Amino acid sequence: MDAGDGPVGAGRAQWLFLAPLLLFAVVFLILPLGFSIYLSFTRWNPLGTPSWVGLRQFEYLLTRDDDFLRSLVNTFIFAFGFVVIGVPLALGLAFVFSRARGKAVWRQIYYLPQLTNIVAIAYLWQFVLDDRYGVINRMLGLVGLRGPDWLTDPTMAMVSVVLVMIWYDAGKNMLIFSAALEAVDQDIYDAANLDGATAWRTLRSITLPIIRPAFIFVTITSFITGMGFFALILAMTGGGPRGATDVTALYAYRMAFEDLRMGRASAAALILAAVIGVIALIQFRALRERS
Amino acid sequence: MQILKYGLLSLGALIMVLPFADMFIGALRGPSDVFANPPRYLPAEPQWGVYARVFRDLPMGTWFANSIIVTGIITVLQVSTSTMAGYALAKYDFTGRASIFRLVVGAQMFPFFLFIIPIFFILRFAPLMGGNDVAGQGGSGLLGTYTALCLPFAVTWYGVFLMRQFFMAIPDDLLEAARLDGASEYRIFRSIMLPLVKPAIATLTLFSFVYHWNEFIWTMTVTRTAPDLQTLPVGIYLLQGAFEDLDQKALQQAALAISILPVIVVFLALQRLFVGSDFASGVK
Repeated sequence: MDAGDGPVGAGRAQWLFLAPLLLFAVVFLILPLGFSIYLSFTRWNPLGTPSWVGLRQFEYLLTRDDDFLRSLVNTFIFAFGFVVIGVPLALGLAFVFSRARGKAVWRQIYYLPQLTNIVAIAYLWQFVLDDRYGVINRMLGLVGLRGPDWLTDPTMAMVSVVLVMIWYDAGKNMLIFSAALEAVDQDIYDAANLDGATAWRTLRSITLPIIRPAFIFVTITSFITGMGFFALILAMTGGGPRGATDVTALYAYRMAFEDLRMGRASAAALILAAVIGVIALIQFRALRERS
Repeated sequence: MQILKYGLLSLGALIMVLPFADMFIGALRGPSDVFANPPRYLPAEPQWGVYARVFRDLPMGTWFANSIIVTGIITVLQVSTSTMAGYALAKYDFTGRASIFRLVVGAQMFPFFLFIIPIFFILRFAPLMGGNDVAGQGGSGLLGTYTALCLPFAVTWYGVFLMRQFFMAIPDDLLEAARLDGASEYRIFRSIMLPLVKPAIATLTLFSFVYHWNEFIWTMTVTRTAPDLQTLPVGIYLLQGAFEDLDQKALQQAALAISILPVIVVFLALQRLFVGSDFASGVK
């Protein structure tokens, strides 16, 4: 449509509708990203003025800061654990639900954590996983087993936060997979049945190819979420014990708001964002090509 | 096979509700249960008074009010900006439309943690706000105001995207006919277009409500030193020191229960308006 076609004002109306978005994009997207990049080249305690240090923050983080490097490793463990277990689990759930009676109720139950604030999630699990009096170790105790120190043993703490993250997010991905499964035309299944296809063959040759876009979407978004998610860890373990669950986003947050080193914190956040971007791109290519 | 299927589903459901049940039971424990040897799991005498005590001993009223205010403002802002921008991107043809749409899609890719530090200081140094001079020095800027809690969430890129998809599905003829009748552009949007995307608006409202009722990191960052502005999750988190004593755990669990309940109520009330497959609209 040409501006001349519409009534008076039609040529400009779209800019009025878009004005809030554009203003927001400048103040809360472009400006912060630019500011962040600038800060990463400085040393800045917010009480003073930033002083330019070139690439020294990056150099320090990547070559001399063991805490930062360990946080990167932890971030990978957390995100991979979350994706590798969580995504197939969500797909399996969606698949079972699609053939179960009362699917709306099942879905609501599994969606419950998604409605819950992350502080409550963290504390609820702290209670459940308490070494001595948590309900899980009590139950294990009833059958004569000594439960692990879920949150105070460094290795188990990482296992615990990954499991809780999977528990928390399963409902969301399950819904995406459910929507994709429901989009599959029943006629295709009927036709496959008539042709005598086994359930396994139907799954492999019909269902999986059709939900492939959803699978790619969920895998990549879950990975991005997992790499940048730190609210749960902050409230559940605080990054401990002894840094065992300290992830990079949490490291950057603390560096900024506890240590007040804004330059180093910005550099850490940018490194993490770059890592996420590169890996998301690789995943996208890899998952696309196999089809 | 059937038994196995429903058995597994039930076991899963049990794991999903276990922490919630644990919380409700824990909230009802009294000192006699906690200090028993060994501590009792099921309270001998459920202490229902804990829910009144939460409002008496904690600034629960303030947190609750703040949660409602902040969530309400953000939801209204997000629905307004998303419908307006989504409509413009779907129904107007103009130079720059493709670029703006790419911006909307691209902006969703940036992880949230990247914005915390810079936006904190953009608000802190906002010119002429909160005692600041033109250069943004001297005062505390917008920190410690509702603006700091709401404004950074005024636009949701995902919401704009969602709304655009829905407006795209509305036939252009409707728009042309209204224009021929001489309706103003704003009137067409308000009286003809908006009613047609009600299901999408309901979905977005629910999303925004749930997300921002539960929002934690940003709100904590800007209200750490402003207790008057803290919301439920933030208040409960920052007051964790008050729950260290064993007999205060019940109070904490009751407070958590109260922070969770409104969302579940709203969700169950609104979910019949809720278009489940919208989750997947980003996929196709």
